[in-house]
Amino acid sequence: MNATQLKKIFLLFLTSGVYTALFSQGYQVNFQGQKQQGMASAGTALPQDASTVFFNPGAASFIEKGSVEIAMTPVFGNTLFEEDSTGVTGRTNSPMGKPFSVYALFRNKKVEALSYGIGVYTPFGSTIQYEDGWVGRFALTRLELMSIFVQPTISYQLNDKFGIGAGFVYCIGRVNLQKDIPVLDQTGEYSHAELSASASGMGVNAGVYFKASEKLSFGLTYRSKVTMGVADGSAEFTVPEALASNFPNGSFSSELPLPQVITLGAAIIANENLSIAADINYIGWSAYDTLAFDYVNNTESLEDTRSARNYENTFAFRLGGQYKLSDLLSVRLGLAYGMTPVQNGYVTPETPDADRISYTGGLSLNLHEHFDIDLSLLYTHVKRWDHNIETNLTGKYTTKVVAPGFALRYKF
Amino acid sequence: MRTNWIIVFSALAVTYSCKPKKIESDWNSGEANMAAYVAIGGSSTGGYMHDALTYEGQQNSLAAILGSQFEMVGGSPMVHPSVASSSIGWSLTGASVLELGFKTDCNGTTSLSPVRTGPTGDATILNNIYSATNRNFGVPFISSIRLNDAAYGDPSNGGHNPYFARMASSPSASMVSDLSARDMTFCSVQIGTDEVMDYARKGASTGSLVPASGPAGAGFDGSVQQIMDIIESKGAKAVVATIPDVMSAPYFTTIPFDGLDLDAESVETLNQIYNPIGINFVIGKNAFMIEDPDAGVFGVRQMVPGELILLNVPLDSVKCYKMGSVFPFRDEFILTNSEQQEIRAKTEEYNQVLVNMANSKGFAVVREDYFYKSISTGIVYNGVSLNAQFVSGGAYSLDGLRLNPRGNALLANEYIRAINKKYNARIPYADPIKYEGIVFP
Repeated sequence: MNATQLKKIFLLFLTSGVYTALFSQGYQVNFQGQKQQGMASAGTALPQDASTVFFNPGAASFIEKGSVEIAMTPVFGNTLFEEDSTGVTGRTNSPMGKPFSVYALFRNKKVEALSYGIGVYTPFGSTIQYEDGWVGRFALTRLELMSIFVQPTISYQLNDKFGIGAGFVYCIGRVNLQKDIPVLDQTGEYSHAELSASASGMGVNAGVYFKASEKLSFGLTYRSKVTMGVADGSAEFTVPEALASNFPNGSFSSELPLPQVITLGAAIIANENLSIAADINYIGWSAYDTLAFDYVNNTESLEDTRSARNYENTFAFRLGGQYKLSDLLSVRLGLAYGMTPVQNGYVTPETPDADRISYTGGLSLNLHEHFDIDLSLLYTHVKRWDHNIETNLTGKYTTKVVAPGFALRYKF
Repeated sequence: MRTNWIIVFSALAVTYSCKPKKIESDWNSGEANMAAYVAIGGSSTGGYMHDALTYEGQQNSLAAILGSQFEMVGGSPMVHPSVASSSIGWSLTGASVLELGFKTDCNGTTSLSPVRTGPTGDATILNNIYSATNRNFGVPFISSIRLNDAAYGDPSNGGHNPYFARMASSPSASMVSDLSARDMTFCSVQIGTDEVMDYARKGASTGSLVPASGPAGAGFDGSVQQIMDIIESKGAKAVVATIPDVMSAPYFTTIPFDGLDLDAESVETLNQIYNPIGINFVIGKNAFMIEDPDAGVFGVRQMVPGELILLNVPLDSVKCYKMGSVFPFRDEFILTNSEQQEIRAKTEEYNQVLVNMANSKGFAVVREDYFYKSISTGIVYNGVSLNAQFVSGGAYSLDGLRLNPRGNALLANEYIRAINKKYNARIPYADPIKYEGIVFP
């Protein structure tokens, strides 16, 4: 692989622009490191590679070698909605999700205990698209929510046991929400609304790492809430001519919180081949209380909307192990249990979410002194029945997700 | 290249293997048998909407919607006394069906308004098309006391019902005689709504509501009993509908009683006329003037809260020619509070009859009155807000009296709910979103 190819792949990731959630609680995406993904995304106390910039800035300085890596996790998610009363079904035909991450980690040449890093990753996002004419079309036809975090980071090893680190997060994002409006024109077509906007926000990712012994370590991280503000979104309406003045195209404002995540992790290095990692995430979903759209041009038909979401703070529990079979090959397994932030009555087609168990596996191929490859695979199966109190859409959502991921890494 | 194909192939494989599977539902009709469903009723059952009977209306009638749901539990396709699909329909007054268009009023203001699709209705739809296979006995404007009237379907009789005449087996046939000749395993019965609506829509100014109690041909209970007895004698089961408060329809609620908006000049004119009899007008909102024989020597008075102005008022006369102010509204355009009380009281009595009769026969009861009440307060169905607002409410047709296809589908679901409960059935509900609301130009 040469530099041009690397650049090409990098650009491909950045321009792919579609990142699917649906495999984690709410619209959170837990695909920030392939080794960790093989272990149910646990790894706050188990620094292994440059992705530690995300998983625990405090542990990054414990990594001996500098490295650069790129990773991507194509996500194949399918949701089936079955309406109780009619038996009518609706399916998603969402595009493949492409969460990615890019990390670089360097040791300071003069001060051994100091490391610098940068991470570019996509911790929140969702693209869900329902088939044409589906039964919930007036609630949602498509939601594309995309965020890219850029995180320059500094990590300092206080002594053999303690490391601290922090990164500043700058986030850019985009949202596109579409639904049909129950107004028919003379060709039998329903009207349509499309809200699109770009947004940005700021936050921090800070962590401490404590290596109690050769066999036992702990990590604690705080990733702050990032509020994605939309000041000048674009609202476009396709309506019959007679109603054009009721639905004026124009600007809107809104905001979406990307919640804080506090993670406590532990790792056991049982021997030189076997390590086990466990993380507990506490996710501040209660920040997502209301989804509001404030239109600049209000009319009798187009009023500002405030939809209650009332998300609740949740936990996720992650447990994973890795075993080094040979110098070439390591294998991983993991199991995660995530609680849904979505209360009964608030499940929407945007995030047909539920408590879930995720099964993961992975492997690493240490191909060369400077080059290695990680692979991971996640499977999860989610079921949720709900009667939404805002739209009255009532039925069962079943979602299956398969997410195979890979990382290419250059070490120096 | 080869690697790319492998990637594409595995991507497709993964996509298809991880699609959730649908579990097939065990829909069934429980203790009811939908093999031969016969729909008996009035406008909604027959498909009269947008103030006409049309092919479209029939295809979106209560009978059609229920029929197609029953097909999923062993029913055979509904057979209507079909209007030609190209027809512009025929209203009771001989006009064509309404659609939403633009109308310019006497002030030169053009706005969205129901307009007729043609200069006159299509009277050819009144030609008799009797078929022994017809299973939609929904007759617009049906009257309980004429269910067994041999002149009801006779075009040579002035008081006949043209919508029954077109489907009757002979000019001397009645609903009772034709229904007696039909095979049936299940019926929906919707009697009473049309006659109450017909009385109310004319401002309670012509005819009267029949007594709740009396023999067939004279009283509501005796007349309806005939239908119930036919169904029972066939060993069929049924769902019986109650009568809603017809006055919750937009036809009655769109024009406010105090919608007389006056400027200083008009106030002066009107006060010159009415101050001598103690009526005073002010700048801004005022109650309209109506004729009322009981209101003093002049027989005119201002409307009071709760009284209704009907959509049959000539709006241009109100806007430009001082109807409702200098020229008080006539009785046919308004429902006074006492008229409303009379209609509500009678509706309640009829409903008592219907419920008792259904219970004694072991038939299901669908509370249309509860359903229409929920529409008038507003509902949200799968993200669609529906209420009893004229046009924008999305549930009523453009005549403001009868439901549109979507409204009928929602109502049909109430029938299914009642049937499912009574007969331990699992009949799937209709999807109201699939049925048209109001079409905008």
